[in-house]
Amino acid sequence: MSEFDKHVLNHNKNEKPFSQIKSSEIDSTLSLSDSLLLKILEKLPESQSNDVSLVCKRWLNLQGRRLRSLKVLDFDFVLSERLTTRFPKLTHVDLVNACMNPPVNSGILLCHKSIYFHLSSESSNWEFLEENLLHSDVIDRGLSVLSRGNCDLLKLVVINATELGLLSLAEDCSDLQELELHKCNDNLLHGIAACKNLRALRLVGSVDGLYSSSVSDIGLTFLAQGCRSLVKLELSGCEGSFDGIKAIGQCCEVLEELSICDHRMDDGWIAALSYFESLKILRISSCRKIDASPGPEKLLQSCPAMESLQLKRCCLNDKEGMRALFKVCDGATEVSIQDCWGLSDDTFSLAKAFRRVRFLSLEGCSVLTSGGLESVILHWEELESMRVVSCKSIKDSEISPALSSLFSLLKELTWRPDTRSHLSSSLEGAGIGKRGSKFFKKSVLH
Amino acid sequence: MSSSKKSSDGKSSEIEEAVASLTMPFNKILLTSSDGESFEIDEAVARKFQIIAHMIEDDCAGKAIPIDNVTGDILSKIIEYAKKHVVEPDEDEDEEAKKKLDSWDAKFVEKLDLETIFKIILAANYLNFEGLLGFASQTVADYIKDKTPEEVREIFNIENDFTPEEEEAIRKENAWTFNG
Repeated sequence: MSEFDKHVLNHNKNEKPFSQIKSSEIDSTLSLSDSLLLKILEKLPESQSNDVSLVCKRWLNLQGRRLRSLKVLDFDFVLSERLTTRFPKLTHVDLVNACMNPPVNSGILLCHKSIYFHLSSESSNWEFLEENLLHSDVIDRGLSVLSRGNCDLLKLVVINATELGLLSLAEDCSDLQELELHKCNDNLLHGIAACKNLRALRLVGSVDGLYSSSVSDIGLTFLAQGCRSLVKLELSGCEGSFDGIKAIGQCCEVLEELSICDHRMDDGWIAALSYFESLKILRISSCRKIDASPGPEKLLQSCPAMESLQLKRCCLNDKEGMRALFKVCDGATEVSIQDCWGLSDDTFSLAKAFRRVRFLSLEGCSVLTSGGLESVILHWEELESMRVVSCKSIKDSEISPALSSLFSLLKELTWRPDTRSHLSSSLEGAGIGKRGSKFFKKSVLH
Repeated sequence: MSSSKKSSDGKSSEIEEAVASLTMPFNKILLTSSDGESFEIDEAVARKFQIIAHMIEDDCAGKAIPIDNVTGDILSKIIEYAKKHVVEPDEDEDEEAKKKLDSWDAKFVEKLDLETIFKIILAANYLNFEGLLGFASQTVADYIKDKTPEEVREIFNIENDFTPEEEEAIRKENAWTFNG
């Protein structure tokens, strides 16, 4: 470098807008203790963490020790123990997306809720997830490495693990409180008793289009016997029947929240809900049927602690199932029905069974009319607030005087039955739905 | 008779104290820096420094307190900040006052170079002056915000102790993780 170049370089250095005139070339951060430097790093936004980790080894270590929650995208990062070395204080780890082989050079991303992975354009069948999922042995090994290094784990999300992996996890991470097991099966649940402090559990059995995995009464019974301190349980894509659900109700005495999603249970399971002594919140979502033959009325007892019933994206066509469900939950103070189909006036009239509803929310229920709504809510004596949104068969013009005087008595009312749901109104300008029909017309002509 | 005398004595000393606090000047505390500079400040200001507040509570505050770890130039800056922040305005009740104070704070740090700010952090930590410690830390964080690692090293004169391979490995690992 010539003298002139050096001069220019120095000159430019001093011109930089963000640096002050430095009195020395010493690294003043060295004068700060780790805890003081941490105080400064804590005031930086999350988005800056990667930059911080690249400044120097000291900052890498400090930043790494700060991190508590992480979604991992590569399994070798776990297996090589690099994850544990860099982030020794993790409490919440999500491994699901690391448990898949990424195909090289793929622009196709498939997303289903929290799982996303890249597809190769050569996938000719629907087994792409099964093909790309890492083998259970590898996943179990990863769990063993992770739990040895991060024994403070409180929450873990993993797919395709087996009982062995679960046992090694439970051995080292005695504080584990929350577990999410994707592609779960009865064999895996055999080991769940080892996780003694489990408070929240989410099991995903089968997911249509991605994988099928069987959680039956056997697995549910293992769960019941092993996890007696459960407060929150979600069963997604699980099989089973009255017996399995009853076992859970009887054993999990402090269970407060139960979510049933996309169930494949045998008919007659609703009566088992009566055994849940502490159940406060029941959520049923994405179910194609509720319960086609729930059994005799006398077996359907109220859940004593029930507070809130929430139905979302379900098909409510089976009246017997609805009758049973409303009977079991008749003590609820809050009822919420969102984006369900089949909620006719007839079916909704069964809601008269509720004894003390204070809050009702209806959204996206397009078959219910104002007459149907009226006959039920005039029957309820304790209704305080109500929310009706996007229920297009409820017409303002059909509100009777009795109904409008009830409205004036309510503490809170949100009344927008003729609002289009957000999705359809945002698609309107795009012409979607109309294009398809043109396409089909063309092919018929040919 | 004696009991009523006692009670009237008790009452009269209370009144004496009340009168005294109204008419006497506030207690002054003398702080001496490590290089011999002395600063006389009101007790209320000195109480912003928790270690001095504790000394006052425990009655070992005496007239002059030596501050061995802090030089005079830094101590004077800290006292200047403490005087302004004796009463912190409530954001909800007095927005005007808060805004004024914030702009004073901004001007206060504008004139200071990084090295001085670091010394202030160390001193505020020693004196246990939470308010200034938080503010000074935030100021340093603002220097770091939105900068690349190279720029951060430049500002603080930090040595890059990564080999190119190590740096590359960390960048790859960062891509394999997602915070949250």
